[in-house]
Amino acid sequence: MARPAPSPVYTLRGAGAPLNTLHFRCPAGDTPLLFSGSAKGAIHMWDLNSRRAEQVVEAHCGNSVIWLSTLRSGETLISQGRDMQVCLWDLKDGRSEVVDSVWTGSVGFCQCSVLETSPSNFLLAFAGPQTEEIKIVEMPGKNPVCSLVPDAQLGMVMCVQLWKPDSGLGPLLFAGYEDGSLLLWDVTQRSELSRVKAHPEPVMCLTFDPRRLRGVSGSCEKKLSSWMLDSQNNIQLQDCVMLVNPGVSQLRVRDDGRLLASAGWDHRVRVFGWKKLRPLAVLQYHTDMVLSVAFSDHQDPRQRLLAAGSKDQRISLWSIYNQGPDTV
Amino acid sequence: MPPVMSQIDDPKIAFAYLRPACVLLTKEPTLANVETLSEQLRDVQAASLQQLQEYVLFPLRFVLKVPGQRREKLVQAVAEALSDVLERTCVRSWDTLRDLFSELCICLCSPTDPGKPADASEELKSAVLRCLDALLHAAYGDIVFRLYEAAMLPGLGAAISLLLALGEKDKSRDIQAAALKCLQSLILHCDCTQEHVVPSPEERCAVGGAVASFLPGITVAAARIITGDLRQGHAVTVRAIKVWSRSVGLVMDDAQLQSGQSCKTPSPDLGRIRQLLVQRTPDWVKATAGKLCALLKRIISCTSAHQHWRVRLEMVELADHLLATCSRSLKECAGPLLEALVGAINDDEPRVRARCEVALRDVSQRNQSGTSSKNLTDVLSENLHSLATSLPRLMRTSDDQKKLFVLNVFLGYLKVLGPLVSVVLNSAAHLDRISKALMQVLELDVMDVRVVEERSYTDPVESSSGSLDSYTCHTHRKQFLYFTDEKIFSVLMEICRTLGYYGNIYLLTDQLLDLYRQSLAYRKQAAMVLNELVRGAAGVAVAAQAKCLDGSERRAASQEDLKAAVVSVMEEYTSLNNWHLVTVSEETDDDRQDQQLLSPLRLQSICRSEIISNSASSLQVIPSSPTSPPSSSSTIHQLNSNIWQLCIQLEGVACFAQALRRHFRPLLMTSLYPVLEKAGEETLLVSQAALGAMMDISEACGYSSPKELISDNSDYLLNDVSVNLQRLSQHPQAPRVLMVMLAHSDRSLLPLVRDIVQDVLMALDLSYDHSAALFCSVLHALMKALARWFPPTCCRTSKSPGFRTSAEQEDFDVCQFLLDYRKQKELAEGIGIEVDETEDLDVPPPPPESEDADDVGGPDMKAELPSHLSITKDVMERCIHLLSDPSLRLRLKVLDVLEQCVYVLSEREDELLPMAHRCWPALLQRLTDDPLAVLRAFRVLCTLGETCGDFLRSRVSKEVLPKLGSSLARQAPISAKAGPVYTHTLAYKLQLAVLQGLGSLCQRLDLGEADLDAVCEACLPYLSCRQPIRLQEACLSVFRHLIQVDPDAFWFTLNEIHCPSSYTPPHPDLQPVQLSGMGRPRDEYSDNVLKLLREEFGSDSDR
Repeated sequence: MARPAPSPVYTLRGAGAPLNTLHFRCPAGDTPLLFSGSAKGAIHMWDLNSRRAEQVVEAHCGNSVIWLSTLRSGETLISQGRDMQVCLWDLKDGRSEVVDSVWTGSVGFCQCSVLETSPSNFLLAFAGPQTEEIKIVEMPGKNPVCSLVPDAQLGMVMCVQLWKPDSGLGPLLFAGYEDGSLLLWDVTQRSELSRVKAHPEPVMCLTFDPRRLRGVSGSCEKKLSSWMLDSQNNIQLQDCVMLVNPGVSQLRVRDDGRLLASAGWDHRVRVFGWKKLRPLAVLQYHTDMVLSVAFSDHQDPRQRLLAAGSKDQRISLWSIYNQGPDTV
Repeated sequence: MPPVMSQIDDPKIAFAYLRPACVLLTKEPTLANVETLSEQLRDVQAASLQQLQEYVLFPLRFVLKVPGQRREKLVQAVAEALSDVLERTCVRSWDTLRDLFSELCICLCSPTDPGKPADASEELKSAVLRCLDALLHAAYGDIVFRLYEAAMLPGLGAAISLLLALGEKDKSRDIQAAALKCLQSLILHCDCTQEHVVPSPEERCAVGGAVASFLPGITVAAARIITGDLRQGHAVTVRAIKVWSRSVGLVMDDAQLQSGQSCKTPSPDLGRIRQLLVQRTPDWVKATAGKLCALLKRIISCTSAHQHWRVRLEMVELADHLLATCSRSLKECAGPLLEALVGAINDDEPRVRARCEVALRDVSQRNQSGTSSKNLTDVLSENLHSLATSLPRLMRTSDDQKKLFVLNVFLGYLKVLGPLVSVVLNSAAHLDRISKALMQVLELDVMDVRVVEERSYTDPVESSSGSLDSYTCHTHRKQFLYFTDEKIFSVLMEICRTLGYYGNIYLLTDQLLDLYRQSLAYRKQAAMVLNELVRGAAGVAVAAQAKCLDGSERRAASQEDLKAAVVSVMEEYTSLNNWHLVTVSEETDDDRQDQQLLSPLRLQSICRSEIISNSASSLQVIPSSPTSPPSSSSTIHQLNSNIWQLCIQLEGVACFAQALRRHFRPLLMTSLYPVLEKAGEETLLVSQAALGAMMDISEACGYSSPKELISDNSDYLLNDVSVNLQRLSQHPQAPRVLMVMLAHSDRSLLPLVRDIVQDVLMALDLSYDHSAALFCSVLHALMKALARWFPPTCCRTSKSPGFRTSAEQEDFDVCQFLLDYRKQKELAEGIGIEVDETEDLDVPPPPPESEDADDVGGPDMKAELPSHLSITKDVMERCIHLLSDPSLRLRLKVLDVLEQCVYVLSEREDELLPMAHRCWPALLQRLTDDPLAVLRAFRVLCTLGETCGDFLRSRVSKEVLPKLGSSLARQAPISAKAGPVYTHTLAYKLQLAVLQGLGSLCQRLDLGEADLDAVCEACLPYLSCRQPIRLQEACLSVFRHLIQVDPDAFWFTLNEIHCPSSYTPPHPDLQPVQLSGMGRPRDEYSDNVLKLLREEFGSDSDR
């Protein structure tokens, strides 16, 4: 029996610009926060208890903020803006100041990817100044690790995801390109491991679940492509999921590996069961393109929210499928 | 007695001084001699007198002993003299004490029947009693106890019965009191300020043993006095209570009874006296206690509600004393005694309360310290249980006074139990019993029809007088089935608070929420109790004294517990089933709406005022709950019940806010929206309760005003509004909340409003057919708010037509005039007046709204419209569509909105004119619509005329004026002939509205000559005195406007109709002036024409 469509538990408004990116930070025992980056260069830190913007930081000289993340320690915020800078922010004790920045040189919309290799070091992957180039630097020293350029003309880099396999191999990197190709790179060898043509159109977004070795990517068409990584590190395309309306801005898998959420250009957030990619719910609230989705990393599963940021300048918060294992 | 001269301090001199008088008195016992002696006695110092005591007493006692008829005056004088002596000396000899005691007793008793008091004068009895008292005080410690030896029992008994008889029967209150006081002295419990003998335990025991013999007599008689006639005055009652309590305390003293001395066998040589002696054996104690208990209950029932506080105070003393001294021997009395104490804890008199608190504290300390009376808690909780059981019955049957007392006792138990309440409540039986009792007692009377019928729009003017008053003064009291006294209600509420204060908040809220869910019959009461429980748990309005009543600390509910409890209760309150209750029946709703539409002015007046309470009343148009089941089935009874339930729940939210203070702020996220929802409710009581709740919440949460409360939390509210707008079928109240918000907030809300307006418009676009009327109300509220927040700065209305030169202000220079005229004429012929609207029609449509990327607040937004104007444009756009809606009601509403839109947009002509152009065709259609709509449309037209000015000129002259003119002309003969009833018709109203607006419209639009003539033509018939008077006035106003536009033309026109004077040319060369109105007889037009000529051309008409 279909239950009535849920309402958002809350909507955060007042950002005053489209919201390109969202990122949760819910440390144990501290106020859960949601970071949002707007097209006007404002980074809002929303207090999820009072549901109000606790702090608003103007960043990237008013250029659109396209990506936000925090390190596991929770005290460093990384933001990427269209001013070709990636900034590191110190959030200790309520401060918010830029402590470092990296110049990417890319004018595209490709969001960075971060991989923490040790408590103090992390790798940062981003699109480089050349069309197909992906650069990886080791932070905080800003040591360049490598620069990955494919041998074919694939167009601009659209999305990247760094991850470290359990097999002990060096970090690997998924990258989606403008011509719809999906590549797996070995970062240490600087070699291309696998390549598939996942979409006829540019790959808009991808997400990969290292535990199941499965990923899914979206484009500006009416389908999501899902793929597996086999034991030889080859990307195997699997069934695709058809959508009603074309265009996906972002895909996210929940930490527990049960849910996949998509941010649709049709103003809707779609929720799928991650295991079989079964469509579960269509969350309808926004009045414009949904640009980003994020799952909360709250310790209490019941308080794990789904957030969606939209071009209509609002963030909707949803409490779905978080009651217990039997509800999915 | 101030010593006149220095007193004699040498015993020898004193002896010499007193001797003659003593001797004389012995020889001749006369009054004069007694008085002489007593005079002289005063001159002797106390120490000397002590030495001469025996000597001095002898003649006096001799007088008393003289056999035969004794004269009262003499005895009285002797008694007074004796008192004087005894008060200043001590009695050391047992013989003296014994003899004097019996002699004085004899003086009191009747000579014929020694058991009865003598039938003597008051003065005598008073003097003797004083003397007896002095004697008992004067007796030395080592001899006084011999009074209580077995041998003395008969004498003692006689004295006691005499004193009791005096105390009970005497006619004088003073003597009654004195006798009882004497009795107190006799049982060694005098409470006067003099020094008293302090008996050792053994001695106490002896006294107790002796008094035990007379205990039945004393207690019965004293109880009779206490429960006797109220008119005897409180002093006697107080004394009697003292006697009762002290004698019982003395005899039944636990310490004595335990020590074992109490029942030592008496010496065998006593003879008959032995029969008098009482052995205080356990059996005897038990039997006596039973009898005392019966007496005690009678006393308590008689005094606990006594009018005089001293009596109540004395009862507290009694209870305290007996509980302290004989808690073991009088076990069965503990219950009634505690009840007496507990009932006094809420006494009106602070002294009684204070004493009672001390007493109760002692009780509870004793209860805790010693294991001896461990059963006190049991007694209390048993009492509580039985009281709770009988409470509903008592509340039904007894009078208000008694109810109040019973409830006070109930409250007292809770206070005495203190922290133990939570232990007691752990017993399911207790919890159930108490909560059920409260449910039954608090049952509301829901028969009042007024509650259902009163509407929140009743009195917008009055309520604007003061926001605070307006919601308190109207408030209905809750009507209860079983009591009416407000005091009773407040005690009940205090009981609830005390329960919450001491009890386990989780347990209590669980229990009451169960009751709340269980049955509709309990719901309101349970909510009332819950509200107060939470307040009590937070320590709000709980008597502070109760905190330290007990040694042990109250386990205060932590902020988290409280919050959790509040959240769960609030969830229940605001759940769909319990919050969205039907409070109005649908039929009345529709009637009211029609009524509403006919009085638009009132709405405007409301929206202008800032006062909070007004705003609620502007919201009546929305149907309360379209989704609710058909209310035709719901009776008045149910509606009333629903209303009260909502009120109580709203009060509850306020209570929770008071309990949590600033910690309530996060809860505003979920609670403020429901409250505001109800603030827009049309039932007066509910909306008032909601407004009251808002006041309380804003105060509790530390906001300076409800306005601040709303504006500070507008993000929370708008969130709910926005979400609910998308699910309108389930949440029909969302637009209403938005309206309340709009009415309450100021322009700082605009950025958020802008956001929400998109939601509103989208929701409207999605459901034109269902809820357009609802949304039009919202849009109306929105536009009114915008008009209030942004009054148009550049006001075109103030710009008067420039060309008008007033004839009377300038010196009329004919030459200059002619020159000007020629110039003008040439100019006109040469160029011609451009009356071409095509240019206007080409105005490009407004740039398409861009809601996206960069429209808010950037510094470089020169092209960007201020958001209130872009909102207005969006709204106006919808209005254009809705103007031709098939529903008349909706069309009227839209016209109202349109009028406001025009008003707001008038600030920017370049935005207004294109919009005006776009809505013109639809607006024109309305001028041939239903008369109601025509009225409204004409108003919009006037507003447009004021703001757009000449932009509308040719349209009006081509499309509007002919229609209006012809309809006016057509109606004129009808209205001229019609009777007084005509003024109630729609046609009349239409005529009136048109005439009232026409003048200013013409003036604003700067109409051409031909148009003016047409208007003039159409209006002239209304100058007739046969027209209804208001039409005449309106017509006069048209002419006044017209005269301002073109004075000369209309001077001429008017004079053509009627010319009062003839004009002689200043020079014979000039033609004489011939006007067709000259010399005409007075007709129906003359009055008004003359009036106009006189007012507007005053100087001319005199010529």
